[in-house]
Amino acid sequence: MSQINYRTINIDALDPESSANFPMESLLPATLPQAASASDAANAATQVRQMLRGGDPEGALRTVLDTAPLGGDDRAKEVHLATVIDVLQGIRQGEMTRILEGVCSGDGGAERADCLMKYLYKGMSSAAPSSGAQSPKKSVSPQDTGFSQIQARNLGEGGGGQQMSVLLSWHERLVDIAGTGSIVRVMTDRRTV
Amino acid sequence: MSQSLRPYLQAVRSSLTAALTISNFASQTSERHNCPEIEANSSPEILLNPLHISRNENEKVKIEPSYNSVRISIRIKQADEIEHILVHKFTRFLTQRAESFFILRRKPVEGYDISFLITNFHTEKMLTHKLIDFVIEFMEEVDKEISEMKLFLNARARFVAESFLTPFD
Repeated sequence: MSQINYRTINIDALDPESSANFPMESLLPATLPQAASASDAANAATQVRQMLRGGDPEGALRTVLDTAPLGGDDRAKEVHLATVIDVLQGIRQGEMTRILEGVCSGDGGAERADCLMKYLYKGMSSAAPSSGAQSPKKSVSPQDTGFSQIQARNLGEGGGGQQMSVLLSWHERLVDIAGTGSIVRVMTDRRTV
Repeated sequence: MSQSLRPYLQAVRSSLTAALTISNFASQTSERHNCPEIEANSSPEILLNPLHISRNENEKVKIEPSYNSVRISIRIKQADEIEHILVHKFTRFLTQRAESFFILRRKPVEGYDISFLITNFHTEKMLTHKLIDFVIEFMEEVDKEISEMKLFLNARARFVAESFLTPFD
């Protein structure tokens, strides 16, 4: 113990009253819904996919946003994120605005808009760290074959570039409807999806 | 502007507009200090959820907001190794002159090519919407610049090779 240079010890980390040890749980509201497990999320996913196949995309989006596992574990959140992205990709470009207006209006519409905004940002971040963090050393050939190689890899993971452009166009329309305030609530809300 | 670039830049613009609502915030740990909280990392409470915006795997933006500062990291498109080297040289040129750029961070965040650090003092001195315009314009210009440099490099290499090989013709 005496070997360690005591001047380099961060004493703030040892002080329970210090701001570095702020209890993050105290920022979560007491009304948080029951923690959902991965199987609950999977059940919701089957229900939503049925609605989507039955030709009710607006109802599917509404249900998937209402059943978001705000208090669930990471696995449940991942399963639910996949469902939301499936729903978003299953809706055609021309119908987006109409469906969004329907989903974001009525009782609890603002909450659904915020929830969708959270999923859009999460969807854009989740594909990134898996393989995007390293430098592009895999594309060895300097010609555009390197580009096609990247595309093929994306398709294996569920369509990276394609999925991003879908999320980006949803983002643009949602900002038109819900405004910048919705993005501020994504940043400040500790109930992550 | 290409079809998929516009929604990307639009998303960055609206996210930055939301993130750049920052105000003065004195340090909680040391009296009479005032530091960008996103860098000091002194309390988890004052760091907000980071926002990721990506166009594809190789082009993305990460916005890390806090009470009094915002860190914006950009990953510039690099389709092949020549572009990788050009981006590296270009960002190195800029970051070595970080003092004259005010908002430029000396070292990019890991996984990204260039980072900006905007604090409340910058938004007080400069116009926020102009700062956002600058970041957007930078992202537009840097792609153009890199592909121009790549074309120039290829043209020059061809010329050099030709004139080098003329005596053997």
